[in-house]
Amino acid sequence: MAAVARKHSRPPAWRRALPENITGWSFALPASVIVLGLGFFPVIWSFVLSTKATNGFGPEQSVGLANYRELAHDQEWLDAVSRSLKFTLLYVPTTVLMGLGLALLLNQKIRFIGFYRTCFFVPFVASAAATGVIFLYVLDPQYGVVDNAIAWMGFHRQLFLDDPDWALFLLAPIYTWTAVGFDVLIYLAALQDVPQDQSEAARIDGAGRFAVFRHVILPAVRPITVLAVVWETINALQFFDIAWATKRGGPIDATTVIIVYGYKLGFVQGQAGLGAAVACVLFVGIVVLVLLQVGYARWRKLDVV
Amino acid sequence: MSSEAITRPATAAIERRAPRRRRRRPSAWHLLLMPLSLIFIFPFVQMLFASLMTTREINAYPPALFPHHPSLTAYRTVLQESDFPTWFKNSLIVTTVAVVSQLILCPLAGYAFARMRFIGTRTLQLLLLTTVFIPPQLLMIPVYKMYAALGIVGTLPSLFLPWMASAISIFLMRQFFIRLPKEIEEAAMIDGCGRLGVFARVLLPLMRPALVTVALLTVLNAWNDFLWPLISISDERNYTLQLGLLTYQGQHHTDWAKVMAINVMVTLPLLIAFLIGQRQFVRSLTFSGVKG
Amino acid sequence: MKKIPLVVAAIGVAALVAASSAGARPAADKPVEITLWHAQADAAQKAIHKLVGQFNKTHPGIVVHDQLGSGGDEMVQKLQAVIGSDAYPDIAYVYGSDVPNVSQSNKVVDISKDIKKAGFAWNSLYPAGRETATVGSKVVGFPAVIDNLAVVYNTKILKAAGVAPPKPNWTWSDYRALAKKLTDSSKDIIGTGYPISGSEDTTWRLWPMIWQQGGDVLDSANKKALFGGPQGVKALQLLSDMALKDKSLYPDQSSDSLKMYGLFESGKMGMVVTGPWQLQEIKDHGISYGVQVMPSFGGSHETISGPDVYMVFNHSDERRAAAVTFLSWLHQPAQDLQWDMQTGNLPLSAKTAALPGMKQYDAKFTGVDLFVKNLQNAHHIRPPVAAYTSVSVAVGKAIATSLLGRGSPKDTLGQAAKTADKALS
Repeated sequence: MAAVARKHSRPPAWRRALPENITGWSFALPASVIVLGLGFFPVIWSFVLSTKATNGFGPEQSVGLANYRELAHDQEWLDAVSRSLKFTLLYVPTTVLMGLGLALLLNQKIRFIGFYRTCFFVPFVASAAATGVIFLYVLDPQYGVVDNAIAWMGFHRQLFLDDPDWALFLLAPIYTWTAVGFDVLIYLAALQDVPQDQSEAARIDGAGRFAVFRHVILPAVRPITVLAVVWETINALQFFDIAWATKRGGPIDATTVIIVYGYKLGFVQGQAGLGAAVACVLFVGIVVLVLLQVGYARWRKLDVV
Repeated sequence: MSSEAITRPATAAIERRAPRRRRRRPSAWHLLLMPLSLIFIFPFVQMLFASLMTTREINAYPPALFPHHPSLTAYRTVLQESDFPTWFKNSLIVTTVAVVSQLILCPLAGYAFARMRFIGTRTLQLLLLTTVFIPPQLLMIPVYKMYAALGIVGTLPSLFLPWMASAISIFLMRQFFIRLPKEIEEAAMIDGCGRLGVFARVLLPLMRPALVTVALLTVLNAWNDFLWPLISISDERNYTLQLGLLTYQGQHHTDWAKVMAINVMVTLPLLIAFLIGQRQFVRSLTFSGVKG
Repeated sequence: MKKIPLVVAAIGVAALVAASSAGARPAADKPVEITLWHAQADAAQKAIHKLVGQFNKTHPGIVVHDQLGSGGDEMVQKLQAVIGSDAYPDIAYVYGSDVPNVSQSNKVVDISKDIKKAGFAWNSLYPAGRETATVGSKVVGFPAVIDNLAVVYNTKILKAAGVAPPKPNWTWSDYRALAKKLTDSSKDIIGTGYPISGSEDTTWRLWPMIWQQGGDVLDSANKKALFGGPQGVKALQLLSDMALKDKSLYPDQSSDSLKMYGLFESGKMGMVVTGPWQLQEIKDHGISYGVQVMPSFGGSHETISGPDVYMVFNHSDERRAAAVTFLSWLHQPAQDLQWDMQTGNLPLSAKTAALPGMKQYDAKFTGVDLFVKNLQNAHHIRPPVAAYTSVSVAVGKAIATSLLGRGSPKDTLGQAAKTADKALS
């Protein structure tokens, strides 16, 4: 009798999970249909194009993996990759840390805080072209404010963006300046519900400001930190707009990072297949990096689900 | 739920009284924030000054910071002779549809990924993420083919459709939902709410900063979108503000004063939207009543 | 017997009525509609819009819709996207260096027969324009804008330096000496400049210096690079010495050469090699200037012309014929002069240049008459091959490297030649 009762009151596991599955999918489906529907086909198309030789107008020729083989032997491609990696290493930690720092600074109830917050958002809103023009002026070796100040202090004028050895490393803080608004935004939002009672309790117990930061705030914003690091890594590896608007990848290819190289190949030199191959190699690279980052976050339980 | 309802007004009343006392002493933080803000706001100020100069002044070397004879001529000319109202209307339509759509679809998906266990959730999330791995500049041609197949290329829907949901908004919402204490949902569900009810009536109100963030990011992306509208739209009646700018940028000669004036008028709404939106970033006290 | 003629008459009348009503129903009941992507901004956009309006009025069978289409820089990208669907235009404004690439599409066909049918005297157009609009044996469009390079100098700066203006038979040594004399670091003035952003503007300025010496960019089969030869090296060496030794040439890294022109228009540069498009802006900045032909290496004063092309895209025989009719009308001397008067562009044919109205044109744009005459000095065009853009990028890099002092002209051009050979194979 007990056996019969059990059969009626416990449906099989998949049946039990069904409502959760249906709800889950129905919540996730509308947004996913749009994102995947519009985002996936172009990616597949890119892969297909990377196996062809064409200039985008004339007849296409299937060449299999020849474009990838050509890239592997292309010194300019390898240089572009190395530049992108250096750029990423410089840009990501700076931007994420600065975002958190500024968010903490802006999370206060003092006068004009609305104005201050809006100020930090301004570079985020400006277009790459506008940003480029401004920094070219500011860093102009003859007429820019910075060099004028340096000369007035008695030092040598620097070439800044005109210097092939420095241009790439100057673009990193410039990009940070434009992009940090995003990190400030998400961190600011995250700081709104950091448990107040925990930090107050810690303060009462005698913890200094930094200890509160380290043990209460940082853990509370961990999921946002994971998102910020992953997102800025993707941005760094896809860096294009400012490099193109300011220096067109120059001087002498100094700022030709991966996407600048791909764009040049595909749209300036009429080698669409090669350009697509660049995009696909980058795609694979980013997949690997993101999986590593997300995996690490999961292993260290930074991203609790 | 009932305990929360009692706590909120009470703590809110205390909050209202306390800040006034705090605000009377000017904070030392201004010393740091003021110069920093000026550095960050510099480009907009520069754009503003340039829009009041003549094109000849803007082009000069050494570059002038302040206009000698500031005038609103550029603004007047642009508003009179160009299709600015049409461009503004189109940009507004595209942005509004995009924001409303994102605010409905992305929190739903983000919540599902954060809190629900369903078959294929990890795969779906990875697939969604991969859509941002190739930068859009290299994808204009297949995107065009897709919209041409849908038959909407060259229309306003082709401009707001790409922004009606985005991977980053979904994941942003997901990360914010993860941080919610599970107790809230569990309490609500015990009280008899269905999943959707819990979501709409209990969780969403707690998500205001996250929702405002998604809204602001969507506004920014849709409003500033340039390359895709350039490729899709040919009929000048469907031009957005970013495309309107093009009509003043020639191959050899650009009317910088007018371009700067348009840039100011294009940027200002975004800053206003942000100024309004950031008001939502106020410490919410709703959690403090729930513990225990 | 009388019946038969009546029947025949009836049939005859019926046939006549049928025939006349078929004729009265015009084959072109609806006018042919074509789209033009002109890529023009500001004043030029107004000019082309006015012309299109005039054409539509005087040609009731055709309606031309003029649209921006895209900015010139993005036109190729947009064409690439739309060419696969039905949304591509009938006419689009394409930069000359992009024409060979775009011509590879099967929507671009030879329009020489259409031109003959439209009764247009193709050979009346300047050779540089015709040749840039022809790829292989296909005529792919009409020249849209024609230009050439000459030297514009600031008369005030020359006077202050106590130098006479350059003469028509001046040499590159004179050019170098003049630049040195005009350079005055105490006044922040530099003799001249050269763009090194790596775009086409960097590269195309080197070609006339090579052609003047009897050299060439590529061999006659367009398969091998010749620019790395002694002529190219000599030309780049001169520029390099001016930049590095004399310090009289400013290597400008800005895109679209904005800074170089900005310096000249602010009275900070003595002379600049440029085209007629810049004259209006120079005048607007209040610079008093003179124009002189390109210097020579002792012989030819050859310059380079870089026309842009209104490319024709095939939808149907009807539309293609209509497009050619429009372009033929646009290139009649009367319309050409109207376009030139409003934009400062050069006349596209000698016929236009011979019109009496040219006097007002010369008066309106000071110095433009030299540019018009200078068209006679344009003998070569850039190699009309699809791989030209790759060649240009390679040579642009070589020039930038040399002018920044990071490589000798021999090495950098040699490197570029290797890259170019590979791209041409």
